[in-house]
Amino acid sequence: MIIRLMSVELLKLRRKWIWPLVALGPVGVIALQAVNYALRYDYLVHQQPGEPWDGLISAVAWLTLAALLTGIFILASMTAGIEHQLNAWKLTVALPVKKRHLYAAKFLLTALLLLTASVLLIPLTVALGLSLGFGTAIPYGQLIAAALFPYLAALPVIALQVWLSVTIHNQAVPLTVGIVGMMTANFAGSRIPDWLPYKWPQIDYAVNEPGLYVPAGIALGLVIYAAGMLDFVRKDVR
Amino acid sequence: MTTIADSIVQTEALTKSISGKAVVNEVNIKIERGDIYGFLGPNGAGKTTTIRLLLGLTKPTSGTVRLFDRDIRNHRLDVLRKVGSLVEYPSYYGHLTAVENLEAVRRLLDVPKERIDDVLAIVRLTKDAGRQVKGYSLGMKQRLGIATALLGNPELLILDEPTNGLDPAGIQEIRELIISLPRTKGVTILISSHLLSEVEQMATRVGIIAKGSMVYQNSISHLREQAISRIRFTVNDPASAYPLLRSSGYEAEWDDRSLTIGRADNASTAEAVALLVKHHYDVYRVEEQTASLESLFLEMTGGERSL
Ligand SMILES: Nc1ncnc2c1ncn2[C@@H]1O[C@H](COP(=O)(O)OP(=O)(O)O)[C@@H](O)[C@H]1O
Ligand SMILES: [Mg+2]
Repeated sequence: MIIRLMSVELLKLRRKWIWPLVALGPVGVIALQAVNYALRYDYLVHQQPGEPWDGLISAVAWLTLAALLTGIFILASMTAGIEHQLNAWKLTVALPVKKRHLYAAKFLLTALLLLTASVLLIPLTVALGLSLGFGTAIPYGQLIAAALFPYLAALPVIALQVWLSVTIHNQAVPLTVGIVGMMTANFAGSRIPDWLPYKWPQIDYAVNEPGLYVPAGIALGLVIYAAGMLDFVRKDVR
Repeated sequence: MTTIADSIVQTEALTKSISGKAVVNEVNIKIERGDIYGFLGPNGAGKTTTIRLLLGLTKPTSGTVRLFDRDIRNHRLDVLRKVGSLVEYPSYYGHLTAVENLEAVRRLLDVPKERIDDVLAIVRLTKDAGRQVKGYSLGMKQRLGIATALLGNPELLILDEPTNGLDPAGIQEIRELIISLPRTKGVTILISSHLLSEVEQMATRVGIIAKGSMVYQNSISHLREQAISRIRFTVNDPASAYPLLRSSGYEAEWDDRSLTIGRADNASTAEAVALLVKHHYDVYRVEEQTASLESLFLEMTGGERSL
């Protein structure tokens, strides 16, 4: 049933311009870094210690944080908004479908869109590095870690935004929460305490071990997902 | 079809309180297989809330809902498989075409693809099926809603005010559509309305709800009998015929064109006609006053005239 629900979710994305929006995040990050490297090539490539590939991967990861956190609240709100806009929840809930499956499909859809964006970073970073002449000794392990660990560490934020977007009709609420979270993570930076999940996606996983951040992200993400699902099942449908 | 009546919808003391106020109060609905149940009540009476409770969109504060003789709390999925519904204004995805909207529901119901063409033809949307629904008129959206409700070949069709917000032509169109729905398979229909006249023609049973409570539930013919039937005679000289009827024991009224008598069954109507003819009045017309059922409805629902 989840597979059927997912196929319906994908069908409902038609003409919504969501896929271009998904691509916009990683493309934007890479484009900004391309400009950054074009302007400061000598400083970034020759005057920094370490391999140029490592420098690029860290630079991309640093910019990705804002794009990821922004993508989360926008996509969560858009996928839920498809139902809220014309009060279509009642249409699906009155069908022989389990409410928790419906919630799972919405969560999976949002998570899948964000995963697509995160994975897209890998070939785009490679393309940028190659065109900057960094050579073919590409550190794929670091590249994959830098693209996927922030995504996994951000699962609590994804689960929270899906919960708020799905259960609250007025999307101003989840959008505000999303913006405040994104701002906090970006401007408080490393000063935010370790226990705050907004810290977890901003570790530079190109040079750091996933440590506790990634498993904690997955675990807390699942807990928040379960709480949101129970709340959705319990609530009356508008 | 079985001779013993199948219970399709049965609620027991169904109650929903919203911020302390019982908007649905101890409602007992009983609908049997093959019924066309007119669910009537003025705006705000609790019709939509009751229908939401039947479909499990809303959870009752107390009381139970049984569909197909099964408690929906334990058998929601099984029973909803046999139900098609249109709750309040229709739900649809504006950025999708009618075919895509139906396809989204079809995948969840797991019915054959041909069914989409079938239901589009039933509601006469085949021609516009490839257009985005946001460009549809309200009547077309309403028809798409009915098509969606019909998609899974439901045994129970629940339509909540399917003509709401439509112009008279649209209302007529939807009404004809509902009457023309295939009734051969013993489909049971629950249709709500705030206008008695709208369901009077098609309903076999009616339930009337006012301020959250059921005030009447029985067959439509029983309701008709309850209505005080009034007969109007158009005669050549109502003013002088009036005392004649009064002296013969009729409760009569007159205006410059006609006489009206109340509580008239077949026999007393025939006697009144005979009396008038015997006294050489010209009787041009004998009419039943159809407003009577409506006035009974208004009386039951607290006289609040809606619309
Ligand atoms: N979610 C809600 N919150 C507050 N009041 C509600 C809600 N839903 C329904 N009501 C109230 O319940 C009453 C019945 O509404 P409804 O079932 O829509 O009536 P009907 O469909 O007969 O017009 C109305 O007074 C309405 O204002
Ligand atoms: Mg209503």
